[in-house]
Amino acid sequence: MRGDGRSRRVAVVPDAYLNPAAGADDHLVRLAAAGWGVVALPQPGLAPEVERAALTALADQLTAFLGDGYEVALAEPDDPIAGRLTAVLAAAGRSLPARVSPLAGPGS
Amino acid sequence: MVVCYLAHCLLNANAKVDEGARCAGVSTPVLALLRERGATIRQMPCPELAFGGTRRFWAVREQYDTPAYRAHCRRLAEPVAAQVRADLAAGNRVVVIGIDGSPSMGVELTAADDSWGGRPNKPRDEDYPVTPGAGFFTETLLGLLGDDVAAVRAVGIGQDLFDYDEERELAKLGAILSGGEGSGAR
Repeated sequence: MRGDGRSRRVAVVPDAYLNPAAGADDHLVRLAAAGWGVVALPQPGLAPEVERAALTALADQLTAFLGDGYEVALAEPDDPIAGRLTAVLAAAGRSLPARVSPLAGPGS
Repeated sequence: MVVCYLAHCLLNANAKVDEGARCAGVSTPVLALLRERGATIRQMPCPELAFGGTRRFWAVREQYDTPAYRAHCRRLAEPVAAQVRADLAAGNRVVVIGIDGSPSMGVELTAADDSWGGRPNKPRDEDYPVTPGAGFFTETLLGLLGDDVAAVRAVGIGQDLFDYDEERELAKLGAILSGGEGSGAR
């Protein structure tokens, strides 16, 4: 591998980071400025089978990052959809570090 | 409202094939444009990351053209297609933003060459065989949409092109977000 400018840091974020409410803090812009890449959780309100398929796809992608030593952080561990992702990962024998705050900066 | 379905790597360059990341993580010029236009953002999965991992070699369509990879793309595209249909049913405009030059996420341009395979022997950027056509994931997603595809605009940002011109690509995207066709859109 020759490398490039990637950060090797991935934040798993809720839909509210991609689409903040009017007047809310823009966490996605802050994460971008700090060099994080983001993996977005599905938006709330999807049919259960659609959300499940989306979470399974996310788990596959995150497993690839985890397997190669990338830093992967849950931005909002208490988010209910993040919780369901954690369950999908656990079923595959994977876990994400708890209570990591990507907004606090690299390596936090 | 316009809802933009972004290729995964536009928000996470860590998913790119090695040497392909043009930024640390989020493509901030694309994000800034979408924020400026008030677009709703949705992120599509990266089919190559989940299939080949972070250490995959550069590849062209012929190397990914297997029943397993096509099934993988379909599995990933099905929930995206369901969300696109829901957004269309809610009266939103939908724009799919792919990566031109990608064998998976290309819209107008992909990469294809019968001679690729076996020992990697195409080290130069200039050897990357950009070809008209869509990538596997894009064509799978648009196919799943059936008749609804007529209501969807798709555009490729040329981040996998040797001569990537960010200003040109942003102008193309901006025109489509404004409701125009722009060049390189379907």
